[in-house]
Amino acid sequence: MLEDRIRTILLEARDYARRSGLNAEFSFHRERSSLIRLGNSAIALSTSEELTRLDVSVQDGRRVGDFTLTADITSLEQLKSALRQAEENCRNALPKDYDPIFGMVEETVDDTRGYDPELENISPNSKAELCAKVIKSLKPKGRYDFSGSWSTGSTEMFYITTANDNEAYRKMTDGRLVLVLKESIKKWELSVERTQKRANEFSADDVAQEFEALLPIYENNPGYKTPIGNQRVLFGPQAIAELVALSVWSGFFGRAYEEGRAFTAKNRPGDKIFSEMVTIFDDPDHPLVFGMPFDFTGKRRRLFKLVEKGVFAGVCYDSQTAAKYKKERTGHDLMNWDLVFVGGSGPAGLKEALALADNALYIPHLHYTHLPDPTKGIFTGSSRFNALLVKDGRFVSPIFSSRITDSIPNVFNNIVAVSAALVAQNISSTYERRSPEAMAVPSWLLCDNVRISDVADGF
Amino acid sequence: MSNNFTSAVRSELKRMLDLGCSFADVRFYDEDSSERLVIYDGNLEANYRRRERGIGVRVLKQGAVGFAATADLNALSACFDRALANAEAALWLLGFPKDMGKAQPVKGKYQPPFEKDPFELPLQEKLEFLKMVDERLKDKTVEHRMVSALFQKRRIHYFNTEGTEIERWVLNTFAEMVVMARDKEGRTQRRSYALDSDGTGTRGFEWLSDPKAFSEHTERIKKELGEIVAAETLPPKRRDVILLPGQGHLQVHETIGHPLELDRILGYELSFAGGSHVKPEMIGSLRYGSEKLNAKVMVVENSPGTFGYDDEGTPQHEYYLIKNGILVNVLCCRLDLAEANALAGKTVVRESGASARAAGFYKTPIDRMTNVCVEWGDDGTLDDIVRATEDGVILDMPVSWSIGSNREHFHFGCEIAWEVKEGRITKVYKNPTYQGHTLEFYNSLDMVGDRSTWRLFQVANCGKGEPNQIMEVGHGVPVMRFKNVITGEGR
Repeated sequence: MLEDRIRTILLEARDYARRSGLNAEFSFHRERSSLIRLGNSAIALSTSEELTRLDVSVQDGRRVGDFTLTADITSLEQLKSALRQAEENCRNALPKDYDPIFGMVEETVDDTRGYDPELENISPNSKAELCAKVIKSLKPKGRYDFSGSWSTGSTEMFYITTANDNEAYRKMTDGRLVLVLKESIKKWELSVERTQKRANEFSADDVAQEFEALLPIYENNPGYKTPIGNQRVLFGPQAIAELVALSVWSGFFGRAYEEGRAFTAKNRPGDKIFSEMVTIFDDPDHPLVFGMPFDFTGKRRRLFKLVEKGVFAGVCYDSQTAAKYKKERTGHDLMNWDLVFVGGSGPAGLKEALALADNALYIPHLHYTHLPDPTKGIFTGSSRFNALLVKDGRFVSPIFSSRITDSIPNVFNNIVAVSAALVAQNISSTYERRSPEAMAVPSWLLCDNVRISDVADGF
Repeated sequence: MSNNFTSAVRSELKRMLDLGCSFADVRFYDEDSSERLVIYDGNLEANYRRRERGIGVRVLKQGAVGFAATADLNALSACFDRALANAEAALWLLGFPKDMGKAQPVKGKYQPPFEKDPFELPLQEKLEFLKMVDERLKDKTVEHRMVSALFQKRRIHYFNTEGTEIERWVLNTFAEMVVMARDKEGRTQRRSYALDSDGTGTRGFEWLSDPKAFSEHTERIKKELGEIVAAETLPPKRRDVILLPGQGHLQVHETIGHPLELDRILGYELSFAGGSHVKPEMIGSLRYGSEKLNAKVMVVENSPGTFGYDDEGTPQHEYYLIKNGILVNVLCCRLDLAEANALAGKTVVRESGASARAAGFYKTPIDRMTNVCVEWGDDGTLDDIVRATEDGVILDMPVSWSIGSNREHFHFGCEIAWEVKEGRITKVYKNPTYQGHTLEFYNSLDMVGDRSTWRLFQVANCGKGEPNQIMEVGHGVPVMRFKNVITGEGR
């Protein structure tokens, strides 16, 4: 439940809007964030931010106006002022050529299942202590420097509208640790990443062990410059999450689909578009994702099928696009989804995956991907941390930075096997506001005929 | 800002010194407003204002940095205490002790040039202007169209323990127009124009509403979209590439600007945005490009990269990054200088480049680009460069950009390519891409256009840092020709 003081003011603001004859939506966001950033095996920065934001939207027929305030919620007068700003924007807006959908909380939600006070209050000292242990255990073994970051925090969201009395509230905690080990002469980089919903989900020992498992391959072998052309690639979790995100972005957004900019635009639900090993859902109830229970039009979020066994299952419509194209909104008026790439029948472990791959490139991370041609689902991005050559079912050498330029349909139609085991991949953004998002993805994905378009001379 | 608040800030700064800090600073964002308006296919799809107000505090204790921010102006003391506690926590794992260097107290004010403050104008007036542009973009050949504007206004007060006190205003105007249509293969193509300048002029609404600056470009982009839609895809091969400033500014941003940010060079961005192919000891000697390449941090009045003083109080000034192809300096703040010089084993960076910038009161300053520009050259106009080209393409405006983690290689997609054969533009191609390796690419720079080809582009959304920050920068670039570049996509 939202803190009484703030909830009371927000409900009073809603009543005031009703008395003023306004159709208004109030979306509250509060974050307590804390982050340590490491560089050259030391803490380079330690920060904490406590921020409150309120988005107010007013709708009058086909006119809409919005106002956002970043400041502590202190009084009804302050919210009235924000409401008046949104009203003024609405009054002076241009009318749309369609009837916009006005938000309404379908059912009251009070979701604090994902909240752990211990993670919210984890101290910078205890973060520093864990990182120091990892660094101390590995630093003497080579010419390494460590960098990275560890962000933790809580996020509260509260949404109400004048349409009814229902309230939607969610409070959760999340954390993401990324530690990067860089060799100072050859400049190869290894990373270990952890996603957390609660405190104490990992230890310094298991982070160090993951580094230690990779180090001998990097230390004892030169870099491998792979030929340009089509290759077998074993993707790891971050790369798979990146491919899923690109796929959804370029293929399943209602606006792009309706306007013919999506690579699926020529398809209809029911068409086979990918290998039958591809099933992608947006599932807020999946245990590995952060689980956003409602969107910011008050729509209750439930499992939504995008692709089922390679068959195009659904397009996501935010309220604006749904209104414009007279479709049903699908609960996607939000930044943070809960995407799940359903596991396959392949073995869970990486060792078995290597045996299955036989000869391949292992690319667990895709760096700086972009879409040169979304209408064909063409993407480009380069390998980064922990990328290795697999020969005769074993890791044999690190690979130099290699660029993949291919299309999503090609990659997802050339799948050889999918791991049965799913892992959580934290893809949270904090550009504007804390926005926790995690995907559930297979621990590996083996694909043939993936196009390597360029290779650097180094890592 | 009230005298009481100023006194309280000064008192807190003194308290930090008394508590053993070597340095502390505070930024108070009295007002941080933005307004975004987007008209898409005639519908006003974004119509919002945002206002932020708060304080960000940074302290330095025994070489460790702590930062805290709050929107609660009554919690000034508590915010300083949290910043101090964060610095003390960082002492647990201290590496190279951070140091601000010699005290550089400054008192000053800055206000960018503008005539019409967009925030003082009625919303209707701004919408009428954008609607007029939208009407001009309408055409039977255009399937979708968009015109957008973003206005920013900030008043920032800066204080530090050295006695620096600065008040500055920031005012920025960004705008873009896009037209889209499907080609014969059903693939959507786009042509766009973003508000740019020759570096002179002002930054208020009068700039946007000047027909020559913005609305006059509608007919041209519609015509060029028609040519793209009718065109074939650029066939892959190696050829010369002539970058117009619309594409050249992003090339410079990604492969000169970012790799020359000192925090990336020092490895502070490795877990997020990546490192740099540059090492500290290379500063002063690395051949970054041909002798034609002169990259410089410029102070250009009409640019979002010009703001008077950075977020450490350092006045902006001009300096070369790359001089006749040699890397001579980097983008840096005061905090990282000593570490860079220690790592290099000699003095490679002498002073702050006034590059400490924070995206808001709740973000800590980091090394950011300001105006990373390429100086114009003496190889004439665009026509002169075309006449001197046997086999090449002219490329403009980014569609996609992807860069290696150390900025050592890149892949860009553009909106349009004009083929050049034997000194003449022969045809238009669609879906052009090009890729290369940074140093090899800049070493192939063999023609640099004159002042007439130089345009200053604005980037409103440069992302970097943890916690992430979006920042506004400017890039002035001339037309540039690069030899023997990989273009187009094979399979």
